[in-house]
Amino acid sequence: MNALVIRDLHVKINESHILHGVNFDVPSHKVTALLGRNGVGKSTTLKGILGLYSSTGSVQLNGQELIGMPTYKIAQSGVAYVPEDREIFSTLSVRENLALASRSKTNNAAFESIYELFPELKTRAIQLAGSLSGGQQQMVAIARAMLNTNEILLVDEPTKGLAPKLVTEVADALAKVAEATTMLLVEQNLALVKRIAHHVVVMDQGRVIFQGEPENLDDPSWVHQMLGVSGGHK
Amino acid sequence: MLRWKYSRPLLVLFVSLLALAPLLGSNPLSQPGFQQTMAVAFIWGGLALTYDLLFGFTGLLSFGHALYFATGVYVTCILINHEVVVWWLAALISIAVSAILALLVGAASLRTTGITFAMVTLAFGEAGHVILQRNFFNLTGGENGIALNADLIPEFWISVANTKFIYWAALAALIFTYVVIWWVTESSAGRVFAALRDNELRVQVLGLNTQRFKLLSFVISAALAALLGAVMLIAAGSAAPRFADAGVTISLLLMVVLGGAVTRWGAVIGGIFYSVATTRMQDLTQQDAFKTIPKWIGGPIAEPAFVLGLLFIFVVMFAPGGLSGAYYRLRLRAITKKSQ
Amino acid sequence: MDTFILIGITGIGLGALYFLIASGLSLIYGLMGVLNFAHGSFLTVGAFVGFWIASKTGFETSMPEFILAMIVGGLAAGLFALLIEQLLITRLYDRHIDQALVTVGVALVVGAVLGGWFGNDLRMFPAPMWFLTAIDIGGAKIPADRVVYIATAVLLLVGNWALLKFTRIGLIIRAGVENRNMVNALGINVRRAFSTVFFLGGFAAGVGGVLVSVYSNGVSPLIAGTYLIYGFIVVVIGGMGSVPGSFLAAMMIGVIRQFANYYATGLGDFVVVILLAVVLLIRPQGLLGKVRA
Ligand SMILES: Nc1ncnc2c1ncn2[C@@H]1O[C@H](COP(=O)(O)OP(=O)(O)OP(=O)(O)O)[C@@H](O)[C@H]1O
Ligand SMILES: [Mg+2]
Repeated sequence: MNALVIRDLHVKINESHILHGVNFDVPSHKVTALLGRNGVGKSTTLKGILGLYSSTGSVQLNGQELIGMPTYKIAQSGVAYVPEDREIFSTLSVRENLALASRSKTNNAAFESIYELFPELKTRAIQLAGSLSGGQQQMVAIARAMLNTNEILLVDEPTKGLAPKLVTEVADALAKVAEATTMLLVEQNLALVKRIAHHVVVMDQGRVIFQGEPENLDDPSWVHQMLGVSGGHK
Repeated sequence: MLRWKYSRPLLVLFVSLLALAPLLGSNPLSQPGFQQTMAVAFIWGGLALTYDLLFGFTGLLSFGHALYFATGVYVTCILINHEVVVWWLAALISIAVSAILALLVGAASLRTTGITFAMVTLAFGEAGHVILQRNFFNLTGGENGIALNADLIPEFWISVANTKFIYWAALAALIFTYVVIWWVTESSAGRVFAALRDNELRVQVLGLNTQRFKLLSFVISAALAALLGAVMLIAAGSAAPRFADAGVTISLLLMVVLGGAVTRWGAVIGGIFYSVATTRMQDLTQQDAFKTIPKWIGGPIAEPAFVLGLLFIFVVMFAPGGLSGAYYRLRLRAITKKSQ
Repeated sequence: MDTFILIGITGIGLGALYFLIASGLSLIYGLMGVLNFAHGSFLTVGAFVGFWIASKTGFETSMPEFILAMIVGGLAAGLFALLIEQLLITRLYDRHIDQALVTVGVALVVGAVLGGWFGNDLRMFPAPMWFLTAIDIGGAKIPADRVVYIATAVLLLVGNWALLKFTRIGLIIRAGVENRNMVNALGINVRRAFSTVFFLGGFAAGVGGVLVSVYSNGVSPLIAGTYLIYGFIVVVIGGMGSVPGSFLAAMMIGVIRQFANYYATGLGDFVVVILLAVVLLIRPQGLLGKVRA
């Protein structure tokens, strides 16, 4: 069963054609990693799914067509998003960031489980999110996506720019999150991908060039050819 | 580009006809009244074109363009009235003053972009307007402005019988403005302006100093506006604060949007149409037939801003590209039909 | 000393009027990127409706009647703003330049309609007699109307702050000023916040319109002119999207302008523009504005 089915997705930004017909599936209750070199259109794919760019083609969430819907309705249908640069609201406190994201009023259980996963967010509830460290900001961004019951989580480079210790922390959190939900994960850290992904999709120049098993990541020549990085670790 | 191969010879013919009309026996343009109307309309056409260079070609939404037009009017008038220099030199100096003013204001306001830039230029323009109304050092005559001292300019600028000279001066200023802007926008600098409007980042990547090109466009349009201001001084016979009003710039924006930006001729036609329309509409509403319309609808219609404002909203919402845009769409359709 | 206090408080009173128009301009710009030239018409609409209410009650207006005129004027302006937003602005979603152009058109049409109906002459506004009494503050005799301007502005500032701070829509507005796309991506229809902000901005401008007509001794379709321009200057100096920034800048400009005018007749506007240039050179994002990504 596929949660998300993407067919012939095209995105143009200011006249430049970024995605040239992207096709792939995201199976339910599995983690699918979206890989590729820098600038191939991974983030653009996620934003296209969310309707943040106007796109053509077809994106179906459990059979429901998302293309043409406004972003807020797509999100309400159960697509949660952890963006590449976190995009937490820096002038709002941590608690306000979470309160904004929560779509139901009586959500105490969800808040409790978030605070359990990220205790630090509880102690820093009234701190302005802009003054948090990069890792803490990433926790806010992930927590924000988990407050509501969702069909799928789109996560864009959650470990980008984090210190190694924080990478582990974020990776642990993601692994826990991944147990319960469908996830489409863009990630450069191949160790993390190997740890939690069930499928990999590789993009190049606005197209999907490979769909398959994460075991391929163990083959250095495959990795080199597909992703242009050497070895299985970065 | 959708150029029509007869357009240039036809344009030359049409302009020659316009230039010779006052001499060609009896026609509307041999009457001083209509010559005056058209002279003013030509000045507005030229001003709209200078605004098109900013807004259309460079993508700078300035709300303070009236400042440079008024600089042309006032500086010329003050220099003539105080017998500082002869009239034509006064006009030249006003152009230089306007360019320097634009250089200073532009350097400060171009630190901002987009909508902020609009606000900032508006603020500077209004400051100029306010200062003119204040009559510092007894120079600007305050709210009433200053009358041009007719004894200090040559005879041919003055009597009603000589209105054709004003008409010619305005036409010449319009043609000069057109040629300069044509040259600027078709030159390599012009292509940079256009690229700036479409994608500033790309120009920056090419290693060009975008700030300098924007400033250049700002200064050129200001200098040309001052030239047209000097001609306006002679046509109007006085300098008044209304030339510096933010309403002037807003009218220019209307002219360019109605006529269509980035086509040059669109702005000129927009300016001429707007100027003639506002004059004519006032005549129209003086007629008796008009008085029978109930006041609640007749009152607003009597204000040119009502009809033009509605037209403007309509064009922005439903017909972007204005008159010239519509023309090119039609031609494009005709061409694609033919080639099928 | 008492002239000093008088000029200072008059300046603050004037600043209060600037704030009433600038607060809406700033929020509308901060949230939606719309440079709203129709904001002056909101002020005028509020002024005329308030004038109509105040005139209903005869030549003399009591204080409750005046407050009623302010509220009804504000509501009328707010609804008018909402209408403009729904009818025109939302259809030009994210076409910022076109949005600004359309609001220019609205300003023209509203000015023409009001001018056609009522003429452009100033009509005497029946303000409460109480406004003419002088209040003694530190030995200075302060005209009571100044105090009303300041109190209204402070009330609106506090109300605005409370709304932004304690309500969900306020939270959405604050988040939207920072990053609209992300608010949408959280499943929140940010356009509802747009409408709220337009209504509130219109309301503040409408209340300001009633007060401006008292300050300038009457209503006419032309009263908004300089206030709109000063509103823009205040927004730029205070920082786009920051209501406290607008408040600070409005007070600063009101006071500086009054003092400059007193000590160097007529120089007030000039000094304000110099201030604007200096702020732009040192802090292009304004006093409390954030640098936008
Ligand atoms: N707003 C934009 N305007 C123009 N081009 C854009 C824009 N956003 C992205 N692009 C271009 O689209 C292409 C794909 O960008 P995208 O951010 O999707 O890449 P990515 O695969 O996520 O790369 P990375 O691994 O570096 O995050 C790039 O070439 C980028 O330059
Ligand atoms: Mg990316």
